[in-house]
Amino acid sequence: MMRNIFYKPLLSAYILSGIALFSSCTTVNTVERETPVGTKQIIADKRVITDSTLNKKVSIVGLNEGVTNGGFLQVQIEVLNRKNSLQDFSYRFEWFDMNGMLVDTPTSVWIPRQIEGQETMTITAVAPAAGVKDFRVKFIENVRKN
Amino acid sequence: MRKYLKYCLLFLPSLLFFGGCATHTRYVESTGPRTIVTTDINIQDFSYAAEEMINSLLASGALDKTQIQPAMLAISRIVNNTTQQIDTDLLTKKIRVALNQSGKALTTTTIGIGGIAEDPLAKGIQQEKEFYADKKEPQRMPDFTLSGKIIEKRDRQDEVRQVSYSFQLSLTNNDGLAVWEDEKEISKQSKRGVIGW
Repeated sequence: MMRNIFYKPLLSAYILSGIALFSSCTTVNTVERETPVGTKQIIADKRVITDSTLNKKVSIVGLNEGVTNGGFLQVQIEVLNRKNSLQDFSYRFEWFDMNGMLVDTPTSVWIPRQIEGQETMTITAVAPAAGVKDFRVKFIENVRKN
Repeated sequence: MRKYLKYCLLFLPSLLFFGGCATHTRYVESTGPRTIVTTDINIQDFSYAAEEMINSLLASGALDKTQIQPAMLAISRIVNNTTQQIDTDLLTKKIRVALNQSGKALTTTTIGIGGIAEDPLAKGIQQEKEFYADKKEPQRMPDFTLSGKIIEKRDRQDEVRQVSYSFQLSLTNNDGLAVWEDEKEISKQSKRGVIGW
């Protein structure tokens, strides 16, 4: 008898939380050419992961590098949301010259983005000057209160 | 002792009330992730728009197609079609600074809409210099002009309000052709509060 009193509300709570959890999940299906024509200039990268939760939400798949017509370094980062729900994050590019000095530019700002569940997103940035040789990208979870 | 305790208990609610009203002001990075987000155009929105525009403009290579490098740029009209009073320099200045740093374009401050120079002193010095140099050749004209528009669109569905801002820019060469154009849209949603927006 006692077991029934606790069992029913507990079961209902589990079911309701399950519905709430799975109803918020919206994932992205994708389709693309089986053998891509374009060849990516994938570059080796060094990662410093301090927030493993964010790393699951915004997982870096690869870095692609190129040069624009004007001789500017162009970087594309492919990120994947390994979670099944929409995630907020911000990123910021920092650019460095030949001597490893940070190039201060108005384009170096934290950019907020949203990524759907299991979605792959490409982030593109162009170096602010022709003398820029290196870059660093920072990712952070949304710290603003909604 | 009991008397003091009585006074303490009497003033405690007021202390708690006014203590709670104390404002905490701090510096935040204006380009950082901790800035305030409202449905108005915030300072960071100009940064986002400028960042995307500069990336697009530099990647296009449109500024490389002039005979003399760096290209000369004049700022034309940026129309504010929003319900807010905004200074469009918040957008254009970032673009000007970035282009200047890139070495691809320099902005003239002596040529403006309706013949009004952004820097009248610089224009005066330029004219005086030309007068004393007895210069006969015409002054170098801008290779490009930058014009644009900021548009606001508001929508509502039940309790959710959405406001979208569209930043549109065009780079026109001196043949009158728009050699580069781009648009950046920023949308914000908010749920209606108890009072107003």
